[in-house]
Amino acid sequence: MSQTEQKIIRKAASGDRAAFRQLVLEHSHAMFRLAWRLTSDETAAEDIVQEAFIKAWRKIGEFRMDSSFKSWLHRITVNTAMDYLRKSLRRKQFETEEPAYETIERAGITPDTGTQIDISIQTQVAMMELSESERTALLLKHYEGHSIKEVAHIMEITTGACKQNIFRAVKKMRVALRPLVAT
Amino acid sequence: MRKITDDDLTLLFYGEHEDPALAALVAESELLSARYDALCSELKLADAYQPPQRGDDYGSEVWQRISPQLEGGSVETKGHLRTWLSSIFQPRFSLAGAVSMLLVAVLAFTLGRNGGQEISTAPGDALDGTAVALAGIDSKRLLTHSVSGHLEQVNLVLTQFANSTEASASEADYATDMLVANRLYRQAADTLGNHKLAAFLADLEPLLIEMAHEAQSGSAATRERMQQEVRDGLLFRVRVMNKQLNKPEISV
Repeated sequence: MSQTEQKIIRKAASGDRAAFRQLVLEHSHAMFRLAWRLTSDETAAEDIVQEAFIKAWRKIGEFRMDSSFKSWLHRITVNTAMDYLRKSLRRKQFETEEPAYETIERAGITPDTGTQIDISIQTQVAMMELSESERTALLLKHYEGHSIKEVAHIMEITTGACKQNIFRAVKKMRVALRPLVAT
Repeated sequence: MRKITDDDLTLLFYGEHEDPALAALVAESELLSARYDALCSELKLADAYQPPQRGDDYGSEVWQRISPQLEGGSVETKGHLRTWLSSIFQPRFSLAGAVSMLLVAVLAFTLGRNGGQEISTAPGDALDGTAVALAGIDSKRLLTHSVSGHLEQVNLVLTQFANSTEASASEADYATDMLVANRLYRQAADTLGNHKLAAFLADLEPLLIEMAHEAQSGSAATRERMQQEVRDGLLFRVRVMNKQLNKPEISV
């Protein structure tokens, strides 16, 4: 973490709203991406980002400078998203809904066409079929580029458990995506 | 040689495998290379899973939405008095403080009209409604109670001011609010004949005026002088006066 970022965080921790605004401007996009990938819901992701920042404002005094601020924010985002999913039973609703690729099939597009939109939907469906911990671990590793140690820290699990979540998620994703690989 | 699993290849893909020789091993083996390439192709497809784009001003939008909710929130830090102060001071001042100020102002006005005599509730009096409402109130006790609450807040703000190194906009705002309240309480105290309390409140005003107007824009030397003034006795006087106000049946 840079000296500048440390300074901004210290100011925010002392109640400086302008400093906290800077942090919001800097991290909003990344938090939205993470929240959206966790929920697959645009509105929910926006709500989660806002709630996560409010929590961050309240707890920023607890942040320790020897760790990554981005990881700390991601941890809050993940926890907020998990709460949101559990409360709204989002996952259950998703499972009872018709999978998106079936709609594509009905529209006359076969799932193995390999078009960008098809791959995206197929990935989304596969992602949402992972367990919460598998999905979270994979998202943090694959899309956010955290190290396994950081992912374990964010998820508050051991690195061993973290690896197992990633391995399981990768196996399932490969099975789902294999038909889409152009031969 | 141990068997290379798909988990090993996954770790290699993410740059997390602990064995630095694995990459070379994969490159040398046709079979391993084919397995690794398949894994790469499949996982790279997942990159197509992209969230909807947010505009460049998304961060500002988030800030606008959360900003009002941070107003009453507090940063849970140890030793950050300012934040603690804003969380407890602001709501009380804006609601209960304003109500009690209004009551005291009405009280002072009413008593002024009645020359400090018992409030008339006779029909036809221009201040019928107010008079009826105030008839059952011990006006001096109400004043004492209201000023005591006011001094508690003054104490908090002055303590914060005396110990903070940097000026803030909220500090000037608090000082302005307190200055307005202080003047109303002073007028009420004068009207009720409590001149000692009125004089004490008058003594607070110069510092509150300076805090409201100069604490933020003034020089570091000015701020230091004001802080010294607070530490040297004003804060102590505020606390003593508040203690006296809270003693039962003792008028100051």
